[in-house]
Amino acid sequence: MGLLDKLDKVAANRETLLPEGINPFDVVIEEIHSATEGTIDDHRVILAGTNNYLGLTFHPSCIEAARASLLKEGTGTTGSRMANGTFSGHSALEKELADFYGCNSAIVFSTGFVANLGAISALAGSGDVIVLDADSHASIYDACKMSGAEMIRFRHNNTVDLEKKLRRLGPKSKNSLIIVEGIYSMLGDCAPLAKIAALKKKYGAWLMVDEAHSMGVLGDHGRGLSEAVGVEKDVDFIVGTFSKSLGSIGGYCVSNHPELDLVRYISRSYIFTASPSPATISSVREALRVISSQPQLRTKLWENVEQLYRGLEQLGFELGSDPSPIVAIHVPTKENALFAWKAILDKGIYVNLIFPPAAPAGLSLLRCSISAAHTSDQIDFILKTFADLKPMMTTAI
Amino acid sequence: MTIPQYDTVFQQVETLLKEHAQLQAPIKDDTDLINDLGFDSLKLMEMLEEVEDIFDITYPLNNLSELHTVKDFVLQIQQIMGGE
Repeated sequence: MGLLDKLDKVAANRETLLPEGINPFDVVIEEIHSATEGTIDDHRVILAGTNNYLGLTFHPSCIEAARASLLKEGTGTTGSRMANGTFSGHSALEKELADFYGCNSAIVFSTGFVANLGAISALAGSGDVIVLDADSHASIYDACKMSGAEMIRFRHNNTVDLEKKLRRLGPKSKNSLIIVEGIYSMLGDCAPLAKIAALKKKYGAWLMVDEAHSMGVLGDHGRGLSEAVGVEKDVDFIVGTFSKSLGSIGGYCVSNHPELDLVRYISRSYIFTASPSPATISSVREALRVISSQPQLRTKLWENVEQLYRGLEQLGFELGSDPSPIVAIHVPTKENALFAWKAILDKGIYVNLIFPPAAPAGLSLLRCSISAAHTSDQIDFILKTFADLKPMMTTAI
Repeated sequence: MTIPQYDTVFQQVETLLKEHAQLQAPIKDDTDLINDLGFDSLKLMEMLEEVEDIFDITYPLNNLSELHTVKDFVLQIQQIMGGE
């Protein structure tokens, strides 16, 4: 068998799944007009499949901060955090993130994916156990593999299964890191975090929460699900990303454990990759200030969520979870999802198409992501379009 | 925990494999879960959840890299039962 033979299967699957002319995994946004509009295939469309929850990619003060930094500090750092890639802005952002969370320390990584790789693989190792939710993001699975720890998964959001697994570990539960997410990216549902935190304490385990999709979205101050359910003191490590509510790119880990700082010295994805550009860091610092000072953005986001979610619910669609900025619509088959996705795009709306194995439990999903920047008229248009196309999304092909 | 005999575990595994397999093939020691029975990652995970319930064990995902055949599967289950 040759090196590239395995890709024949990928090609065959692509041929089967993607009829000619429809490739949802190769979309090019030819022009971006705002946080909620772009041009795809020469058509102006509403973007309802981004993670731009607060619409900060086009916030004037974030753009200005990035522009000023670009002019003053140049286009990139050309080095890793460990070498020449830590500028004053990187250190300042770490301090500001720690302050935002009320934690002792923070580490900035180059992406959210890399933050999970770097933090998890450094915190857990041979002889330890990682107990992760079955619907965890790919970066968490990959990080667990890199760590060398024993990997155990519990059924998605099932605290009975989690407790069974912690109990079976016996004394090893003290060396166990439970990993869950604030909001899960596929269905938009939240972890039952209060119960999970109670189990963590009961069995003496450690707890990490990935707040990638919940930072800026949940909690009175936007600190995520841990804040919203009042368990921040029980969460040992929070990881997150700059590429969603903060409107940029990068990742972080915060903690009250002083040992977090030592992660820098053993985390390969911190040491061996270039650090975020100065402009990126400056826009994130400004976005963090905006999140802290403009809670009305979060209020607007949730008004928009209610409008879309309740509208879809009234239209009779089967939705993935309770209201959340991620609204996943179940469709009967892959074919339904594919043809509906294309029809929705042709009508002027971009949403995400999710097939198994990316979607859990063999589901096919059309996933909308809502932003504080969407207008009520845009959401009305999305609802009208979904109403018009409902038969295509509900009657199995 | 008493470790059941190989044949006893095999029989229970055989029933599960027949229920979850995507391809029809005789279930023998050297039957390959992916190539002969058509398991993909999702189907495998579904089946592992049932295995955990039936045998009252926790199946570490690290074992997956060594799981190819029915015999591998039966031996892994016995090993986990012996260690817990």
